[in-house]
Amino acid sequence: MVSASNVAKKVQTAAGSLTILQNVNIAIAAGESLAVVGASGSGKTTLLGILAGLDLPSSGDVALAGESLTHLDEEARALLRGRLVGFVFQNFQLLGSLTAAENVMLPIELRGDGDALHRAEELLARVGLSERGHHYPRQLSGGEQQRVAIARAFACRPQVLFADEPTGNLDTATGERITELLFELNADYGTTLVLVTHDSRLAKRCTRSITIDTGQIVAETLHASMSDDDSAGSDRPAGSEL
Amino acid sequence: MATADAVAKVPRRMPLALRLAWRDWRSGELRLLLGAIVVAVASVTAISLFVDRLQSALIEQSATFLAADRVLSGSTPAPVELRDRATNLGLQQAETVTFATMLYTGEDKNLLASVKAVSEAYPLRGVLRVSAEPFGPDTVSSDLPLPGEVWLDPRLFPALALELGDTVEIGFKQLRVSGILTREPDRGGSFTDLAPRALMRINDLAATKIIQPGSRVSFRYLLRGDEGDLESAYEALAEGERSRYRWLGARDSSAAIGNALERAESFLLLGGLLAVLLAGVAVALAAHRYARRHFDHVGVLKTLGATPRVILQNFLGVLMLVGALGVLFGLLVGNLLQQLVLLYVNDLIPGELPSAGLRPYLLGAVTGFICLFSFALPPLLALRHISPMRVIRRDLVEGDLAGMLTYGSALVGTIVLLLWYSGSVVLTLYTLGAVSAVVILFAAAAWLALSGTGALGMQAGSFWRLALAGIKRRSRASIAQMLIFGLAIMLLLILVLVRTSLLSEWREQLPDDVPNHFVMNVTPDEVESVRVKLERISDRVGELFPMIRGRIVGVNGMTTDEWSAQLGNLFDNDIDNERNLTYSDQMPGENVVTQGEWWAQGTAEKLISLEDDYAIRHGLSIGDQLEIDIAGAVVSGRVSNFRRVDWDSMRPNFFVIFSPAMLEGMPTTFMTSFHLPREEQRELNGFMRQFPTVSVIPMEDIIEQVQDIVDRVTQAIELVLALVLVSGCLVLLASIQSSRDERLAEHGLLRALGATRSLIAGSLSVEFLTLGALSGLLAVAGAELAVALLQVQVFELTPRLHGWYWLFTPLAGALLVLAVGLAGSRSLIASPPMRVLRNLD
Ligand SMILES: Nc1ncnc2c1ncn2[C@@H]1O[C@H](COP(=O)(O)OP(=O)(O)O)[C@@H](O)[C@H]1O
Ligand SMILES: [Mg+2]
Repeated sequence: MVSASNVAKKVQTAAGSLTILQNVNIAIAAGESLAVVGASGSGKTTLLGILAGLDLPSSGDVALAGESLTHLDEEARALLRGRLVGFVFQNFQLLGSLTAAENVMLPIELRGDGDALHRAEELLARVGLSERGHHYPRQLSGGEQQRVAIARAFACRPQVLFADEPTGNLDTATGERITELLFELNADYGTTLVLVTHDSRLAKRCTRSITIDTGQIVAETLHASMSDDDSAGSDRPAGSEL
Repeated sequence: MATADAVAKVPRRMPLALRLAWRDWRSGELRLLLGAIVVAVASVTAISLFVDRLQSALIEQSATFLAADRVLSGSTPAPVELRDRATNLGLQQAETVTFATMLYTGEDKNLLASVKAVSEAYPLRGVLRVSAEPFGPDTVSSDLPLPGEVWLDPRLFPALALELGDTVEIGFKQLRVSGILTREPDRGGSFTDLAPRALMRINDLAATKIIQPGSRVSFRYLLRGDEGDLESAYEALAEGERSRYRWLGARDSSAAIGNALERAESFLLLGGLLAVLLAGVAVALAAHRYARRHFDHVGVLKTLGATPRVILQNFLGVLMLVGALGVLFGLLVGNLLQQLVLLYVNDLIPGELPSAGLRPYLLGAVTGFICLFSFALPPLLALRHISPMRVIRRDLVEGDLAGMLTYGSALVGTIVLLLWYSGSVVLTLYTLGAVSAVVILFAAAAWLALSGTGALGMQAGSFWRLALAGIKRRSRASIAQMLIFGLAIMLLLILVLVRTSLLSEWREQLPDDVPNHFVMNVTPDEVESVRVKLERISDRVGELFPMIRGRIVGVNGMTTDEWSAQLGNLFDNDIDNERNLTYSDQMPGENVVTQGEWWAQGTAEKLISLEDDYAIRHGLSIGDQLEIDIAGAVVSGRVSNFRRVDWDSMRPNFFVIFSPAMLEGMPTTFMTSFHLPREEQRELNGFMRQFPTVSVIPMEDIIEQVQDIVDRVTQAIELVLALVLVSGCLVLLASIQSSRDERLAEHGLLRALGATRSLIAGSLSVEFLTLGALSGLLAVAGAELAVALLQVQVFELTPRLHGWYWLFTPLAGALLVLAVGLAGSRSLIASPPMRVLRNLD
C-alpha cells in the first residue's frame, strides 16, 4: 500500500546542508498498521509527510497504492491524496471559520460527492458529537476537536490514514479515548494506518513499529496483537474535557 | 437536528467557491476586504461625480466671460457653412461687431469710443448691467438698446457732457442715448479695446456706413449649446477657413480665469489620486491579511486533496464575488455621498449644478476592479503554492506573499490608475516618484527610530518596556505599519498643506484691495495731476509706468522672419506682434529675475529685460541684440536679463522692459492701476471729467469671477479631504487588523502569565502612541518634500516651510493611531484569557 525505498531528505539551512532522513526503506501492506516512534526531532514528521505525498524526498522513491509519488506534480499528488488518504494531526487542524459539520463536509465537497451533509451527520454521530455539528472549533474542547478531525479523516473512506501524534496535545484519558476511536474506525473501514507517536503503548497497538533515530530506521518490532495491559488506561481519572 | 440548522442556510447545490465565500463572509474574514473596496470605489465615484459637476458648473460660469459657450472671432463675418450647421444643430446664435470710431454730439464734442453692435439674442451667457445715472449703482438688465438707440459707458457722459435722451452720431446714423451700460459679460480684460463702450443694434449698422472693406472691425459669432454639437459645428469649417478665425472656449476668455480653473482641476485631481492610492493600500492590506489567515486553510485543503488549480479557482471565485459586491455597493455609496455633499454645499453654491455623466461611475467601477486585481490578487495567487507540509510542521517558514509579483502588480496597477485618472504623465510620475522616495526614506527612518526606541525602553517602566519590546519584536511589521500610517498621514497632510497654501496664495494674489481698474493713455504732463487725483479717490494706487507700443523687428542682425525660420516650427512665430513696452530703472515689484541681472540704476547702456516664458518661446537668450520698431523709429539694445512675471496679479505687467537710456526722446504715455470699491465708483465721474482723454478700464468682473472660483473649489476640497480621511482611517484599521492575530497570541500569553487588563491596555496604548508619533514625524517630513515639489512643478507657487505642522502632526498622528488602534483591538483587550488561549489554534 505504502512503500519507500532509499528515501533521504536534505534541507538547506543557513549553517549548510542538513540531512533529516537517510536510507529509509519501508513497505506497508494494505490493512496493516505501522507505528513510527522515536525521540522528538528524530525525523518522524518529516517521514510521514513524505510517505503521504505532502512533501517530496530529496532522493529515493515513494509509492502510494502502487503509484510512484516522486514523478507526480503537486496537482496530481493532491488528486491522489483526495482519493486515497486521510489525515489526523497533533494540533487537529480544523478550519476555524467552519462549523464542525462543515469541516467534516469539506473533503466530500472537494471530491464533488453529493449529500455531504448527510454523510457528515453520520460521521459526527459515529464519533459521538451528533449534537455539536453547528459548533465552531473554538467552542469545542481539544478532545472534541480531535474527534471532529477523525470524522473528517474518514469522510472519504480513505485507504490509508496518516496520523501525526494524534494524542500529543491531549491529556492521557482523552488521548486513550481518541486512540480507541481511531482504531475502532480503522477496523470498521479496513484502513491502512501509519501512526507517528512517541507513546510506546500506543505503538504497541499497531501490528508493527519502527524506531527512528536521527533520520534512520534503527529498529523494527512486530506486535502480535493488542496486549492486555492496554486496558490499564481505564483506571486513570476520567478526562474532564470530554 | 442541530447540524442541519447550521448549514441549512447554504443552498445545497451552490458551487464550492460560493460556499467557501459564504463561510468566509460569515466568519468576518471578507468584511475588511469588502469594506476597503467599497471605500475605494465610493470615494473615487463621489469625488469624480462632484468634480465633474463642479467643473461643468465652473466652465458654464466662466462661459459668461465669452457671453457664449464658443465664439468664432475674426476680421470677417462667420462663414455660412458654420451658420447653417449651427442652425441645423439647433444651437443658439448671436453676433457682435466691434470697431473703434468717433462719437459726435450736437455740441461738436467728440471722443473715440469702441462701438459694439449686437444681434437680438446677445448675450447668450451672462447679463448686461445698467445704471440710472453715470457711476450710480447698477442693476441687471434683460433688455438691449432698441433699434435707433444706443447705450453708453458711464465714462462717456462726463467727457461728452451728455445726458440720457440726448442723441449722438455714429458715422451717418443718429442714435438716441437710452441707457448707461456699466457691465457687459464679454468685456474681459483686453487691452486692445480700451475706449469706452457704445452698445447698439446690429440692424442699425448698415446705416452708419462705417463698415467698409479694409476697416478694422472685429466680428464675433456667438454659440451656445451642447459640448458635442458645438465642436461638430466647428467641424463644418474647412481647414483653410479655420486659420482665418479664432475659435474660443470658456478657458480662453481670460488668462486669470483659465489659470484658476486649471489649478482647481489639478488640485481636485490630486485629491482623487490620493484617495485611490490610500484605498489601494487598504485593499492590499486586507487581501494580505485574508491570505495570511488562509495559509493553514490552504494547507488543510491540500491534505484533503484540493489541487492547486481547485484552490486557485475557489479563491478567484471568492475574489470576484467580493469585487462585484464591493463595486456595486461602492457605486451606490459614492452616489449617496455625493448627494449628501451637494445638500450640504447647496447654499454655498448658487444655482443648479449640471448633472454628471456616466464617466464617474465607470471610473469608480474600473478603479474597484483594478484595485482588486493589482492589489488583492497576487497574495491570493501565492496561496496555491502553500505547502501542505505546513499542516504538520508549524515551524515551516511562512510562504512569502510579498514576492516580486505582488510589488510588480501593485506598481502596474497604481500606474494605470494614476495615468488613467489624471490623464497626465507628469503628475503620475511626480506622485510615483514622491511616494517611492518616501517609502524608501520612511523604511530607513523607521528602522532607525525603532533602534532608538529599543534603547529607550531598557530604562523605562513596565508599560513602556512592554510596548517598546512589542514594537521591536515585530520590527518588520512595525516598520510596515509606520510606513503605512506615515504614508496615509502624509497624503492627508499634503492635501491640507496644498489646500491651505493654494487658497492663501490665491487670496494673497487677490486681496480685497487688489487693483480693479487700469488707467491708460496718461500723457507725461498729466502724470503728476493724475497721480494726485487718484490718490484722493483711492486708497491703493500703483506705480505709473511709461507705456509704449512697439514690436521687435530684428534679432542679432536677422529679420524676425529669418529668426523664426531658423528656429524651425518648434517655436512660436508671433515674435513681431505689437506689444506694450515700458522702461524703468527699477524692476517692478512681484517680478523675479530668473537669468542675468537687473541693470544698475541710471545705466547709460541700452538694455532689455524679457519675461522668461516669452524669451524661451522665441528662442532668445541673454546677450542677444534686439531691434525694436516704435512708431516707425528703430532702436536696438542687448538682452540683459529674464524675469518671471505673476500674470494673476492684476497689476500692469510687461513682456519687455527697457533701460531708460533706450527710449530717450521717445514719445510715451503712462499707465497705472488702482483700487476703487464698487460703491465708490461715482468718484470716477469727476476724474473722467478732469481727464477726458485718459482711459479707465474696469477689471472687477474678472477679479470677482476668480474669487468665486476659489470659493467653490474650497467646497470641493473639503469633500475630497473628508473622503481621504475616511480612506486613511480605513487603512489604519486594516493595518491594525493585520497585526491583530499576532497580538492576540501575545496577549493571551501575557494574560495567562498574570498581566492585568490595564497593563495590556496601557502597553497597547503606548505602542500605538509611539507608532503614531513616529509615523506623524515621518509624514510631516515627507509631506514638506512632496508639497514643495508639487508647488513648484504643478501649481507654480513658491514653496515654504510649515513650522507648526512639525509639532502638530506627530501629536495628531499619535492620537489618531491610538484611537483607531484601540477601537480595532477593543475586543482583544476585553476578551477573557481563556478565550484568548482557545483562539490560538
Ligand atoms: N524545512 C526544514 N528546515 C530545517 N530543518 C528542518 C526542516 N524540516 C525539519 N527540520 C529538522 O529536522 C529534524 C526532524 O524534524 P521532525 O521530522 O519534525 O522531527 P520529529 O517529528 O521526529 O520531532 C528537526 O531537527 C527539525 O528541526
Ligand atoms: Mg513531529
